[in-house]
Amino acid sequence: MPAIWCWINTMRKTMQGKAWHKYLLSLPPMVYLLIFFAAPTLIMLFASFRYAGEYGGLAPWYLHEEGRLTLDLTLENWQRLLGTDIYLRLFLKSVGYAVMTTLICMVMGYPLALTIARSDRKSRDLLLLLVILPFWSNFLVRIYAWMIIFSPVGALTRMLNGLLDLVGGGPVTLMYSPTAMIICLVYVHLPFMVLPLYANLEKHDLDLLDAAQDLGAGKWRRFWLITWPLSLPGITAGSILVFIPVLGMFAIPDLLGGTNGIMIGNVIKQQFMESRDWPFGSVLSIVLTVTAVAVVLLGARLGQGRGGRG
Amino acid sequence: MRKILVVLMLFLASPVFAGEELHMFNWNDYISEEVVADFEKRCNCKVVQDYYSGTEEMMAKLLAGASGYDLVIPTQNAVQALIQQGFLEKLDKSALTNLKNQDPGFLNRSYDPGNVYSLPYAYTTTLIGFNEQRLKEQGIEPASWALIFDPRILEKIKGKVTVMDDADELFGAALKYLGYSVNDVDEQHLREAQAVIIKAKPYWAAFNSSSYIKELTVGNIWVAHGYSSDMVQARNDALAAKRDFAVNFILPREGAVLALDNMVIPKTAKNKKLALQFIDFLMDGKNAAGLSNDVGAGNPNSAALPFINPELKKLTAIFPDQKVLATLETLEATNAKVRRLKNMLWTELKLK
Repeated sequence: MPAIWCWINTMRKTMQGKAWHKYLLSLPPMVYLLIFFAAPTLIMLFASFRYAGEYGGLAPWYLHEEGRLTLDLTLENWQRLLGTDIYLRLFLKSVGYAVMTTLICMVMGYPLALTIARSDRKSRDLLLLLVILPFWSNFLVRIYAWMIIFSPVGALTRMLNGLLDLVGGGPVTLMYSPTAMIICLVYVHLPFMVLPLYANLEKHDLDLLDAAQDLGAGKWRRFWLITWPLSLPGITAGSILVFIPVLGMFAIPDLLGGTNGIMIGNVIKQQFMESRDWPFGSVLSIVLTVTAVAVVLLGARLGQGRGGRG
Repeated sequence: MRKILVVLMLFLASPVFAGEELHMFNWNDYISEEVVADFEKRCNCKVVQDYYSGTEEMMAKLLAGASGYDLVIPTQNAVQALIQQGFLEKLDKSALTNLKNQDPGFLNRSYDPGNVYSLPYAYTTTLIGFNEQRLKEQGIEPASWALIFDPRILEKIKGKVTVMDDADELFGAALKYLGYSVNDVDEQHLREAQAVIIKAKPYWAAFNSSSYIKELTVGNIWVAHGYSSDMVQARNDALAAKRDFAVNFILPREGAVLALDNMVIPKTAKNKKLALQFIDFLMDGKNAAGLSNDVGAGNPNSAALPFINPELKKLTAIFPDQKVLATLETLEATNAKVRRLKNMLWTELKLK
């Protein structure tokens, strides 16, 4: 998905700069995206109008009847999407999880990124290393580690319930709950918020803050009037990098989600696996892709509209 | 743990061996490693194993064009679908000296009349595993599917129950609970089953087909809907870990799903001769017994019976007698329309 973000930026810049060499430079990524993004999307779009094969895959899109070739396409996959509200509810739920995760990542990531950006060079490298450290172990292994932490007989849950018991609260279950899902979603995606934010904050001209202080602006005033607006492009980039993968996430709801933790990604996966219903899977994927592109476009506009060097 | 295992095995399975290789695609935890090692020694070859944890996962992979597997172990409904797709090689029976060992009761089934393409490998039932002590404390006597579907019972074990994250299996159980066949595709009946599931769902902790063995043995979960071979493993693991409780399992009296797994050779196999040799090797009584002793699966091989742990043989949930067998049903292959209906009902109930 970050690739689309780059692509849109490249497109925008190509349109503005008339120089042909810029066009030439952007050619390899364009060709790459054409083959690995545009073409599959078109194939998916075509598949969404076809019938599912009896045992999976796709049924032939044309029929030989009395020596004549007839098209065998249908709108029923799209009708299925619109004929009930369950898929709309599913989308809203997934968007809800994605918005929630993005907001928490933002609230948690901003102070972190700011601290790293303002610390001295030596500790900065160490702190950055610590942020990317989790990437060194496999995503699934980390989720399984969380499953052990959340488990009802695990130390965390027992300690929490022990404390709750002291203050007279009832026991809680962490495993298989929306809370567990959000914690893991935030945990996995936090670096994607911190890194672009850091990249932005690190480049701020600190003289601006000094000038503001000389003119009598307090700590908060300086933050809201200078740092915050300047960091908007970083926030936008970070939010997009968090929002989009969370929207299509299926592994975390599968493993931690409990009986209600289903997201659009799970249902898409079901279409290609359990139901072997490629056409409907294509329909859902297209809706997801369109949503993602819309979010990126919106983000690009926001990042462009408000000033700052990103 | 299954998902992790699958991922790990995918990495570990990269070939480094120079001799002949047999690529096998099997259910996870569904072969005796000892038997595999014996075969490798005997044929001076290497058995490269790849695992799957659900029929649909395997079908999706094979139908999406995965090739290079010499031997696949699919369940009967998948065999039926693979035959209809023209995916399977006919088995050369003349090369199989141990064919006579197969129990005739498991041969010549409707999914492959005359066993042209497939031979039975092992079987499991889908049943309920439970924590003996915890249920006793609650005064619950497990006997029926009511244990996972009846809110009056579930009230006492709320949040301690998981069911399989598999539409066919869960609908199958709910249909049996209602007195219908597991293969019932009548929309009205499926909707009734959906209603049963929706009513029970608030009391369940999760839909889980991947880690219920662990959850049961650790004691997080007290009741789990899953495969009999997994429950045998959970029982043994709990024993080995010296827990203060025992894991046990029961085949609900209403009946359940019987999964008959088979050995088949895909047309795209590279080493058909070696695959056939391995099939013959696995049908040898002593080797076939490994599947029951090490894995806890039921055995369709008559010559294996004398080698099987007598305690295991006594369990009707693993080795059903004629009376129990009459209540068990195998899942049939479903067409696109039925799959679509089931998935719609499934998505609906998951959102409720």
